Amino acid sequence: MKKFIIVIISIIFSINSAYTQEEEKKKDKPVRSPFGSGILIDNQTCEIPTAKTLEMLIQHRFGKMDNGIKDIWGIYSPGANIRIGFNYSILDNLMIGYGLTGRKMQSDLQVKWNIIQQTRKNTIPVAVTLYGNIAIDGRDKENEGIWGVNYKFSNRLSYFSQLIVGRKFTDWLSIQLTASFTHYNLIDSISDHDKIGIGINGRARISSQSSIIFQYDAPLKIKGISEHHEFINPSKPNFAIGWEISTSTHAFQIYITTADGILPQEIYMFNRNDWTKGFSNLMFGFTITRLWSF
Amino acid sequence: MKKTKLLVLTTIITAGLFLISWIVPQEQKKGEPWEIPEMYKKMENPYKDDVSLNKVGKMLYAKHCKSCHGNRGLGDGPMAKNLETFSGDFSSEEFQNQSDGVLFYKSFIGRDEMPNYEKKITDDEDRWAIINFLRTFKK
Repeated sequence: MKKFIIVIISIIFSINSAYTQEEEKKKDKPVRSPFGSGILIDNQTCEIPTAKTLEMLIQHRFGKMDNGIKDIWGIYSPGANIRIGFNYSILDNLMIGYGLTGRKMQSDLQVKWNIIQQTRKNTIPVAVTLYGNIAIDGRDKENEGIWGVNYKFSNRLSYFSQLIVGRKFTDWLSIQLTASFTHYNLIDSISDHDKIGIGINGRARISSQSSIIFQYDAPLKIKGISEHHEFINPSKPNFAIGWEISTSTHAFQIYITTADGILPQEIYMFNRNDWTKGFSNLMFGFTITRLWSF
Repeated sequence: MKKTKLLVLTTIITAGLFLISWIVPQEQKKGEPWEIPEMYKKMENPYKDDVSLNKVGKMLYAKHCKSCHGNRGLGDGPMAKNLETFSGDFSSEEFQNQSDGVLFYKSFIGRDEMPNYEKKITDDEDRWAIINFLRTFKK
């Protein structure tokens, strides 16, 4: 009887160990680059460069296109906006960054955490990412038109947090859905301090390096969080479509977009351009990224 | 007046140098022999003949290698002329006679103008997919 038990136990162990080895061999890996870069026009993607990689970004928004050939559809018009930023991947799934935007001279600090990565064999069908930032308005504190008579540093602050759920459906198509919360410490009297938004964005690869990219972000009008009886001139959805070229260390995106803000909280809270109204509400923009690995 | 003359002269010299740079042939040197560690010489390709990786290899080559090594691995990509060293003809017998392990070392560890790609292509399966793709350049 004793011998029989020992034989049974050893069979169970050997099956178990063979199974474990098989499991290790078949370990499901994350999908290959669902996006060409960590940024997609104005939105973050679930892509984070490998640990110890420094990324530099230049995000540029030209003027509106309504003057046509006179200023080459806004490319030579005044009123451009620019953000230069630096991101650093601390871990393969954790990135921090700093950026400075021309409009309002906003400095921003940001964090992106890739909580779950989609896997190749669909063991995990989606990628889940959290993104958050805090921006500091850098305009002159003596300007009473902006800050009122009682200037307080905390009035300069705004916050943005976003949940991103994305899926690479095929080799050529990746889509993300987003839900976000924006808060401004100081806002004009007819607006709300808080804004909830949802969005969809994605890329459709058309060759090994080129993709069509798009985004649509909608600020929601939610009575429950509003401080007013009605919405006066609420912010408008932001739509953009463009083309991305992505290489080993660079990504280049050129697009037509609605929002002249660059930071997401600026777009969700203050975009009054309506993409359905044509050239007078649209502009060209581009983004360039460069990676350095250490 | 003196300033204008100086400006004109500078412009002519700059333009001349620019134009000469198109005419003067810029010879690229052939790279010195590589020192390959024994470990890589003996390295086996676990994904040899894995056709499921064909597309992956092609995509990754286009993203990371094509700008210097060219569409067909002839060393004629748009960035190739900025290199001091000829980046090699992947279709040649000399190149194709090298073992997979040697190609792996040269491709991902690199030296001098050939950058290290260990941080950019982190997955071993992806790296071997590129090596498999390099084999398709054989004449």
